[in-house]
Amino acid sequence: MGHMKTILQQGKVKQAVIDKFVDKATGIVGADNISSGEIDLLSTCRDYWPVSSIWMLEGSVPALPQLVVWPQSTEEVSQILALANEKKIPVVPYGEGSGALGGAVPLQGGIMLDLKKMNRVRKLDALNQLITVECGMNGALYEEYLNRGGYTGGHFPQSLRCSTVGGWLACRAAGQFSTRYGKIEDIVVSLEAVLANGTIFRGRSVPRAATGPRADLLMVGSEGVLGVITAADLCIWPLPEKRHYATYTFDNLADGLEAIRKFIRAGTRPAVVRLYDAQETGNHFPELGDERPGLILLFEGAEPIVKAEAGVVNQIVSGHCAVDAGPDFVEHWLETRFNVSAASRLLQKDAVLDTIEVTTNWHNAYVVYQAMQKALLGVEGTMMASGHWSHVYPEGAALYMTVVGFPGEDKVGYYKKIWRVAMEACLAEGAAISHHHGIGLHRGAWMEQEHGQGLEVLKKVKAALDPNGIMNPGKLGLEEVQQWEK
Amino acid sequence: MGKVNMEELLNCALCPNICRCECPVLQATGREAVAPAGKARLAAMLQKEQLGWDEEVLDAVSHCLSCRGCTIHCPFAELSLCDELLNTRLVAKASGARLLQVEPYLANLRNYGSPYGQKSETAACGEKGAEILYYAGCTSLANNPASIEAARSLFNKAGLSYQMIEEDCCGYPAEIWGDEELARQLAAENLRKMKESGASTMVTGCPECWLTFTGHYPEWGLELPLEIIDASTYFLSLLEEGHLKPGQADMKEVSYHDPCIWARAAQKTAEPREIIGRIPGLELLEANSCGEKTRCCGGGAMFQLSYPDTAAAIARRRLGEFAENTAIVTACPFCREGLLQENRQVLELVELLDRTCQK
Ligand SMILES: Cc1cc2nc3c(=O)[nH]c(=O)nc-3n(C[C@H](O)[C@H](O)[C@H](O)COP(=O)(O)OP(=O)(O)OC[C@H]3O[C@@H](n4cnc5c(N)ncnc54)[C@H](O)[C@@H]3O)c2cc1C
Ligand code: SF4
Ligand code: SF4
Repeated sequence: MGHMKTILQQGKVKQAVIDKFVDKATGIVGADNISSGEIDLLSTCRDYWPVSSIWMLEGSVPALPQLVVWPQSTEEVSQILALANEKKIPVVPYGEGSGALGGAVPLQGGIMLDLKKMNRVRKLDALNQLITVECGMNGALYEEYLNRGGYTGGHFPQSLRCSTVGGWLACRAAGQFSTRYGKIEDIVVSLEAVLANGTIFRGRSVPRAATGPRADLLMVGSEGVLGVITAADLCIWPLPEKRHYATYTFDNLADGLEAIRKFIRAGTRPAVVRLYDAQETGNHFPELGDERPGLILLFEGAEPIVKAEAGVVNQIVSGHCAVDAGPDFVEHWLETRFNVSAASRLLQKDAVLDTIEVTTNWHNAYVVYQAMQKALLGVEGTMMASGHWSHVYPEGAALYMTVVGFPGEDKVGYYKKIWRVAMEACLAEGAAISHHHGIGLHRGAWMEQEHGQGLEVLKKVKAALDPNGIMNPGKLGLEEVQQWEK
Repeated sequence: MGKVNMEELLNCALCPNICRCECPVLQATGREAVAPAGKARLAAMLQKEQLGWDEEVLDAVSHCLSCRGCTIHCPFAELSLCDELLNTRLVAKASGARLLQVEPYLANLRNYGSPYGQKSETAACGEKGAEILYYAGCTSLANNPASIEAARSLFNKAGLSYQMIEEDCCGYPAEIWGDEELARQLAAENLRKMKESGASTMVTGCPECWLTFTGHYPEWGLELPLEIIDASTYFLSLLEEGHLKPGQADMKEVSYHDPCIWARAAQKTAEPREIIGRIPGLELLEANSCGEKTRCCGGGAMFQLSYPDTAAAIARRRLGEFAENTAIVTACPFCREGLLQENRQVLELVELLDRTCQK
């Protein structure tokens, strides 16, 4: 591995310091749960950021850690963090590496804190519809566990099978059924976390409390920079009694968006609401044979409610000249929704592919789409820029753009360009730079524009909670990363 | 085996590990290096010579049970990750990298034709020249002679003549541990004995042997001189034809653990259930993941020898998916061996059938 190029490495911790850490840490987690093996370092040094994949094909990695540590309990996390803090060793929490923006890249070396061995369900509280689950539990196994008991977690990111509960919370994730069940910040009731100095703290799982800002919930969306989320109390629901599927096509996107706005305003909450532009409708549902924007809807819950909601929605969309295309396309979507194969194939054909999700209010939902599409198509090498709206709210919606380009040699340069124009277009139209993938490394460059003075507040929070700056340095736009500019 | 298919390997290396939830090795160890796409990335780097062979790399790419759990959610229909990893490992030998812990078992294969060492009893028995040849496999011979007894008893109860030969290992362990030459030598020896037996049908209760005979021998250019049939299909046909008649079961319920190869490589999930269903008074309680979605017991790819602790951890996890206090029936000597923990009653299907059949 000596010859593996590390493109973003910003230094490493002195080996003597690491060796001393290992001596003590072995006593905490046991020799089996700590590794400095080259293969372990190489395998835990990245996430699903497309730039890492591009570099992988070229034989490089973004950066390498110096150790991988697998804690098995909150107490172990606490002791490991306290020790790392004392020795000022960077720590990057690691779930299942499905993050899309380089959030798990160990820029300054140090420790990858792999949380997968903290994967137990601590308690299922049927009466209060709550589950206490540890951070390293895999999403699909979590849902499987719940289904066995007749419940659902209501959270289905496309990465369900390759992401952890802790990763969802750390990245402020949103699942495909979010319109009914909410995003992860709606689903979490309280959490347990550990600060850089080893302090363990927990929230209380009451429905709500007017007891000041919630310290535990500050960790939601903190992407590993404030501490480690070790467990959470999440809401669960009984498996739905009834499901109903519907697909509609519209003359144009603006009509589709307006119809959605109205049925959400009317109080309906289909679990799945996805409106695709004409190109994506054609790509995902070729059998539809309709070159127009398509909307798929999935309603679930108690039968009378489902029936009533579907009726209200049908009435509203009909007022927007929607054509009813029946339930089959939703079945097809359900079968294929976790299928992520295009990226692997395209990357091998020298393409660059990425998805950029943003969020905005209804008044400019269509305008943001147009502006981002135009900007992306304007970059030399772009072959396709399409979009769909995947999460909706009374006040607006999330737009998910997919871009594919064949830029020739300078793939990373192209990647930076498409992001730059997309973020600029999004900000110019008043949209927010991310809906659910988070900030990670790459999107940090636009955090100041996104937050204004708010970013200073976040930096102060970071400085107070992690004065030595050991937690996931260089992420969330809190520090500049010299080697990685927009 | 063949050459590594680089396009498929890269499809996997570039995947976000969609199937990680179904990879028992990853779930038991928590190590990214042994996640499905993690192994594919290492294998791809080896192919591209971005990484050189050493014990650590070989160890990581050997952490595959060949259980095909990853195929359950894999979007690439043409990809067989376990075969790509196997092909990757086959060139390791030339580099000098070795899995030290399997060296004694490879020596056993060379010296005794079984990874378990000298056979304590000779398998050769039955009626010379009989049409049916029963091939037990090294693991049953070494660890569960009772299952062989049960199979022989069933032949006798059905009034059928059968024979067993002095078996050599089918070659699978040698291949999985990267010694293809040895695997082929063992295969050639087996083939010679099969031919000499004069049998026209070979019944085997070992899925690894079955896969090696039906899948790998043809790839090695070896033509089988007889038809191969798995024990479940065979004994089911004896039940259907009335040669065997099961009586009342001596227990009320059993769970069936689908061995990975029977379930996913051979699609044999119905036959064992039909056999259980024909035993009066016996109810089948399905495991949480069953049929083609079964989860490995930890015994795939000889893990019980090469990685015993990981194999045991995987088995414990799998045991949690069965109804408590219920006997588990399976159709594979490795699965039986692996699941025999935590005081569980585990028996092979032939043993269950033999217990209930008077005729
Ligand atoms: C194919 C694909 C589809 C996706 N679809 C969706 C989607 O539909 N919705 C969605 O919201 N996201 C989606 N994502 C993004 C990604 O899956 C999520 O961000 C996910 O929540 C990350 O979880 P993880 O366990 O893989 O975290 P990782 O990638 O391991 O880590 C992500 C970040 O969180 C930090 N972190 C991880 N665990 C903890 C912890 N316990 N405590 C503190 N910090 C922690 C890490 O340091 C890192 O900064 C998708 C990604 C892929 C590859
Ligand atoms: S086996 Fe298939 S699903 Fe699993 S990581 Fe590889 S490509 Fe992805
Ligand atoms: S065959 Fe089994 S052990 Fe091997 S990668 Fe696939 S799921 Fe994992």
